[in-house]
Amino acid sequence: MAETLNLSASDHSSLDHSGSSRSGNRSLRIAEKQKRKKEAEEPFVVALRYFADVEAGTPVAGNDEFEKNMELVEEEAYSRGLSPEAISLMLEFAMSLRMGNTPCARVLKFLIPASVVPQDAVVRAVVWLTVGKIPAGTRVLFLKWFLTMFDMIDGKDQLRAIYGFIFSFIMDENMCPFVCHLLYLLTRKESGKQDGRQPFLLHLLSLYKVFCPELVTLSIPSRMRTGFRNHISPWKSALIAVQKRNSVQVAPSISLAFTNKEKSSSRKRKHDHLELPALSAVVNREPQTELFCSRKVVPMAQIRSFDQMLENMHRIELPAQMGSLLDSSLALQYLDCVQDESALLRLNFWLGYALQEEFLFAGDGGSSQNSAEALPFLNKLLSAQHFLQEGFSSTEAFLYKFLKVWDGSLLRPQILSLLSNIPVVPSSQMGRLLFEPLMQLFFTSSLFFKCGLMECLNNMLSKWLTWHSVYALEDDLDISLNSHTSTNMTLTGFKDSVMELINFVGRLASVGLQLENSHTLLLSFVLDFYETVCDTFLKYGLPLVVLPPPGVFYPALFATDPVSVDRLAHIMNRYKVSLTSAKSQEKLGEQSFRVSRQTFHEFNQYLINMVNCLWNSKMFEPGMGVQLGEELLLRSGVPEPWTSFSFIHHPAFMGYAFNFHQRCWPGRKDTDLNSIKHPKPWSWYVEYLMNQGYDGLKHFVQCNLTLPPGAGDGPDNQQVDLKISGRTFKK
Amino acid sequence: MEPPQRSMVRTPHKSVLVQRRSKSRSYRQSYRSCSGGPSRLCLTPALTARRLNTSRRPPKSQDITDKLKAEHLALLVKTRWKLSYVTPLYRFRHTQLRSYSRQLSAFIAAEQQRGVAVEVEGTQSGFRVSFSMLQGLASAENDDPETVLIQVHSKPLLSRQDEPQKLVWSGWLTCISGNPEYLSSLPRDFTCLPLFGSSGADGLTSVVKSWIQQTFDCCLGRLELNHTTLQWLLALWTNCHAQSNIQQLNMVWTLPSAPPLQVSFTVDPQDAWDLWRSVRKASAQEEEEEEEESCIDVEEVTRFLHGLKSHFYRHFRLELSAGSLSQVGTALGWAAVSGRIKMSSSRYVVTTLALLTECALLKMPI
Repeated sequence: MAETLNLSASDHSSLDHSGSSRSGNRSLRIAEKQKRKKEAEEPFVVALRYFADVEAGTPVAGNDEFEKNMELVEEEAYSRGLSPEAISLMLEFAMSLRMGNTPCARVLKFLIPASVVPQDAVVRAVVWLTVGKIPAGTRVLFLKWFLTMFDMIDGKDQLRAIYGFIFSFIMDENMCPFVCHLLYLLTRKESGKQDGRQPFLLHLLSLYKVFCPELVTLSIPSRMRTGFRNHISPWKSALIAVQKRNSVQVAPSISLAFTNKEKSSSRKRKHDHLELPALSAVVNREPQTELFCSRKVVPMAQIRSFDQMLENMHRIELPAQMGSLLDSSLALQYLDCVQDESALLRLNFWLGYALQEEFLFAGDGGSSQNSAEALPFLNKLLSAQHFLQEGFSSTEAFLYKFLKVWDGSLLRPQILSLLSNIPVVPSSQMGRLLFEPLMQLFFTSSLFFKCGLMECLNNMLSKWLTWHSVYALEDDLDISLNSHTSTNMTLTGFKDSVMELINFVGRLASVGLQLENSHTLLLSFVLDFYETVCDTFLKYGLPLVVLPPPGVFYPALFATDPVSVDRLAHIMNRYKVSLTSAKSQEKLGEQSFRVSRQTFHEFNQYLINMVNCLWNSKMFEPGMGVQLGEELLLRSGVPEPWTSFSFIHHPAFMGYAFNFHQRCWPGRKDTDLNSIKHPKPWSWYVEYLMNQGYDGLKHFVQCNLTLPPGAGDGPDNQQVDLKISGRTFKK
Repeated sequence: MEPPQRSMVRTPHKSVLVQRRSKSRSYRQSYRSCSGGPSRLCLTPALTARRLNTSRRPPKSQDITDKLKAEHLALLVKTRWKLSYVTPLYRFRHTQLRSYSRQLSAFIAAEQQRGVAVEVEGTQSGFRVSFSMLQGLASAENDDPETVLIQVHSKPLLSRQDEPQKLVWSGWLTCISGNPEYLSSLPRDFTCLPLFGSSGADGLTSVVKSWIQQTFDCCLGRLELNHTTLQWLLALWTNCHAQSNIQQLNMVWTLPSAPPLQVSFTVDPQDAWDLWRSVRKASAQEEEEEEEESCIDVEEVTRFLHGLKSHFYRHFRLELSAGSLSQVGTALGWAAVSGRIKMSSSRYVVTTLALLTECALLKMPI
């Protein structure tokens, strides 16, 4: 006994034994200190031994020895915590009531473990509890201690083995709440039948209900206040202090509080459409499923981890109310995997109902007041849709109705995100369902709404295109546009829808840019959209090339910031690659698709105009895209108007031209930008400009303009390398 | 035959292919929804905006007295019902009604213990719930599911043994001449009984509703009867005057003035009938052939209402069209905008329920 005690009292004591032999080569002071320490510890070991050996019935009152030893252990417990062995010993001493009840309660109060609590000790203590001599208050104290230390008990298997014993304490009025809490922590799969309406019982029962719904007919409120109070208060601070001092990481945190979904608002809502139903198992099983009783089903509510889900994949039972799935990514994962049509439909009915009741039927314009609930709900819905990478059809149906009454500002980010998730709409329906309401909103809303809508439509387009690129080939959608295929949607139908969308955005963007004076922010969102559009063929494999309308192209070309011009150049480059590749495929006889001559013509026109404008200073020349009457040009008083959008005079690049001019001719007082036009400085200037990080432009210049090696010519005489324009594509 | 490989195909990895297959269904479904065919939900939700029928058959007097139990019929006819719409019920079985009775009793008892709801005069010792089918209401030609009647009986705590249990709550789920396209589009696991009427203590109503919601994973929402529906009811009832006297044509109009003005407007049945005949003139000629009455068109209903309104204007200089109907009533029935209704005549129960079923189906989220 002494041996173990020596070891158990503290690791320092064992260290001291070896330490004393080594003390010779240590300084005297350390030896002294160790000695003092040893003296301080030895009484503690003695004290423990006292409690281990003390005879039953020894009186407490006036027992100085007892008092001294008790104080020693108490001090040790509060300062460093007790070792597992010490805990066992003291718990045994207390619960056996060897010296009566008074020391028992006292011991329990300072029973702070240094590391873990041995399970055996707790089991023995429970056994003592059944003996029944312990007064009620002390029993409760013990249970509180038990609950507090629950996470620190080194094993739970034996405790579960005596589940029935613990359960029997439920009949004791005082202990009931604590026993329930304990059982809640211990319950895994056992079952029971009880009744009552106390919150702690309800909580225990709610767990029973999850495991065995058929046994508990009680209806349990979905939103329960925490039924178990935290009983750790008497020990909490001491425990934390000891843990801190010992820096032992037994449990990451003392989290015994029942983790129920705590609803923030206690106020009653008139309607609670947006409240998710509780994840509860089906009570009313189908009669035929009884046949499969041998194949036990596992209710979704019991699945706690992904591993568990994988293990039970074949026998998971969906919950009674599908709406409860929206909250759980695990459940959504399962749903996505099994593709159960009925399940999806149930979810959709619930979702559609919640959305329409909240946003469409709430007569008092309720939703705006309830955005506290609506916002998290929509966010939840969005994250579920993003998780599934697909919009729910009920959301879609709701949106079509909601767009007609939406003011464009209520929950704008959420609504626009939902909108971007809708699946492909047939082109014949797009106008009525989408374009009409959106157009109205677009033209009557602020710049920020316009930008938001542009972003939304861009996302919508890229989602449609992604669907196509992932599934079209697999579904054998006939690329050769055979309209007699049995597939549900022909490629033509899909293409028509995409084209409608792109054209619609083109119209919106043209007018929007005009309304907002080609605002840079809006222009940026528009260019985002066309960055998606220009890659429909190459990136997403959809045989479709749609060019931006002039209302988008020219504002971008004449933009006051170089970034927009650069992005336009990039977009033009991508178009060129697409068209070239389409052309070459056509040539190879792989009838993938034919781009209309009109498209080639338009593209060439854009390209020529861009080169003429930026490079050749041939703005406003006959045959160009932008034409102004000569009189009008004269009246404007601009000298040499045809040069006004060259790289030198373009408002986006003029700053660079000035900068370049200063560096090139530092001495010159009067700035004459036209001097850059001379062959030598021009080639330097172009090089300077291309080194500013405008990769789109750089690429554009490299592809479409051949810079003769000597750069002997001035800009005006540069030849456009009309690889794409003209002969190659004109048939 | 192997489909020809395309040069640009990003050949999917074998294992990925399997995974994708399962997903491809949903893609097809989303594709399908575009083509106007059945979508993934077998319906084309918003794409085909459902509207209230613009024309309907005139109500035929249907004798259901021999089909229904007398007590059931009396209950249907004597009670004022509060209406709700119900999304399709999942795994509802007409064969399980007995089990549902047990479950709902237990559920009510549990709710009562929680002290949440249930407050019917005096203390209750217990509730007995009975589910029964009202066979005969649903039309045979349409594939309507049979109507289900739910009754909650209770016995006061301090009562003699032989005292009969009192009916404290009743309600029904029905579908009369539901849109066959919609009904057939639902998978087999679903039963569409879109119209729910209830009568009894609000507490019990909400308990029963939440039981239905939890058990059949459906949603129940208020069914309001809008102006158009009330107009239709008015016209349909008036149309019956020849067969059964409507006694009086009562209307309550709400006018949006400050303070709100309520106008009660009562019309002599004969006058109403004459007015109705005059707007039905066009079809009246065909009526002479008397084979089958022609359909009533919504335009006729509008004209009828217009006649009533202009008559009122001539007398009181008050433009009723500025407001809307909030209640209509005749000897055959009564209905209010709040979704309460009474079907006083057993002969027109079916017709009225058919119109209401249509309204309920319009409220379906998808």
